Amino acid sequence: MDMEASIEHMSRGTVRYVDALLVVLEPYYRSMETAGRTVPLARALGIQHIYGIANKLRSPEDGEAVAAYCRNHDLELVAKIPFDDSVVEADRTGRAVIDYDVTAPIVEELSRVADFLLREIKVNGNGAGGN
Amino acid sequence: MKIAISGKGGSGKTTISATLTRILARRGLPVLAIDGDPNPNLIQALGLGPGVEAEAVPRSVVERREDEAGQPRHVLTTSVADIVSQYGLKAPDGVTVLVGTRIDHAGAG
Repeated sequence: MDMEASIEHMSRGTVRYVDALLVVLEPYYRSMETAGRTVPLARALGIQHIYGIANKLRSPEDGEAVAAYCRNHDLELVAKIPFDDSVVEADRTGRAVIDYDVTAPIVEELSRVADFLLREIKVNGNGAGGN
Repeated sequence: MKIAISGKGGSGKTTISATLTRILARRGLPVLAIDGDPNPNLIQALGLGPGVEAEAVPRSVVERREDEAGQPRHVLTTSVADIVSQYGLKAPDGVTVLVGTRIDHAGAG
């Protein structure tokens, strides 16, 4: 579920019933602060699995900045996605990134995230087909 | 498994959601992607071409009722399967995508 761009959905409890919340962080203060405010709210709602995904990293320093922020906020960082021109190009040509270039760094990194989630999260009941 | 993706505007939530969705679908999982953004573009990020639009799930599928304790609850008036078959769009790799409204989806699972 692709959420709206605010933490309003947290206060309304929209995400209460999810098994996992992935919080996207760019290596900028305001982006990380937004994530930093989201995490305690998500914990308070009882969401079991909360993970950080660093996105649009342009340097090792960017990666380290996000990693440090996550360490300080007790958020497990599960992906470091570099700034990826494939995303821009795919969007410009009206295609999905995975169709534009299946070897794009974002696809490779998120494949690892998929493996991780399938390994970490055991769901009883209706599984992936549920709402 | 239900996964939500959150983050600041412009952080790449939609691209990440769409790409992860397609990857999970390629692993053979049935995947339902829901666009919860009031400015929805998950459909395009999933690879359905420009101009493809889905009818948003109307608010009427959720009704506000009070439970025994008098607390407001949102309950579905239509089954999830009916919502998916009526409003779901087929995307590549067998993904189904729904464009949600801004209603609280609490209890919708």
